[in-house]
Amino acid sequence: MRLDPLDRVLLQRVQDDFPLDPRPYRVIGEALGMPELEVMARLAGLSRRGVIRHIAPILEPGSLGIRSSTLVAMRVPEKQMHEVAAIVNGYDGVSHNYRRDGDYNLWFTVAAAGEEELHGILEEIVRRSTIPPGDVLNLPMVRRFKLDVRFRFLAEEDDDGQGR
Amino acid sequence: MMDRVDKELLILTQDGIGFEERPFLRAARRLRISEEEVVARLQRLRQIGVVRRFGMRINPRKAELMANAMVVWSVPENCVAEVGAAMAESPDVTHCYERRTIPGRWEYNLYTVLHCRDREDALRRVAALSRATGAADYRVLFSTEEFKREPSGRIEPAAGPGRGR
Repeated sequence: MRLDPLDRVLLQRVQDDFPLDPRPYRVIGEALGMPELEVMARLAGLSRRGVIRHIAPILEPGSLGIRSSTLVAMRVPEKQMHEVAAIVNGYDGVSHNYRRDGDYNLWFTVAAAGEEELHGILEEIVRRSTIPPGDVLNLPMVRRFKLDVRFRFLAEEDDDGQGR
Repeated sequence: MMDRVDKELLILTQDGIGFEERPFLRAARRLRISEEEVVARLQRLRQIGVVRRFGMRINPRKAELMANAMVVWSVPENCVAEVGAAMAESPDVTHCYERRTIPGRWEYNLYTVLHCRDREDALRRVAALSRATGAADYRVLFSTEEFKREPSGRIEPAAGPGRGR
């Protein structure tokens, strides 16, 4: 998927500072010197192509009563992978579930209202997946240093990735 | 905190606003409030931290970021705060968490996620992080298949116990 330079400028702007205004696309357009109509058309195009999932309020889980969460890694035999992944996906508290390189090859996050509920969900997943508990890592969070899923759309070419 | 209208507003907008001139109009009509009030309520929710930010969710792969690298680092206990804070500063890093270890089985205590153009780009950036922080004991775990990825904070219209899906 190639992004043209104007798409990049637009993505960067919308990501960094989406104006909370009744006419947000006009405000963005004014800042970028782009007609409101073009802003809307380009964003709609990026949405159709799947680049933008959506523009929405991104909620803080803690403020919604989600108090406990953890990252879980499992060692899953290849022939069981899709079955176990489907079991894990079936839980609402699971937001991310990936296959990754390494001997622990399935990694997912689980969130719940409290510790007890979280442990209940985990126990059930382990039991239903028939993965031995010795092949499961439960890695609860101790401290969050950063959660900010934003990307750089501009100046990728000039940057050497050195210590920034 | 949140009143009933705030909650309804989040439910109406959490799956995305439209790409139309007045994208808050529909929610305003449903709630029988003005668009100005919609915007003011969203601003307030952001101020009090219910809304972390208002903006785009991107599909990194569609945005030419093909490599998702979770890096697990083993950092001495007395350096975690400093190294974690330094890694969090890097714009390459989207997530940076300290997690409990499992002594004897899994000694990694710091976790970062990077979304990069490709594996080579990711490895280069991880090496730069390592050099900049002095954290040398790490493994890069690239994702090879995405089974599920969705917002971790959602308001369910009828907030009940988790439905199995």
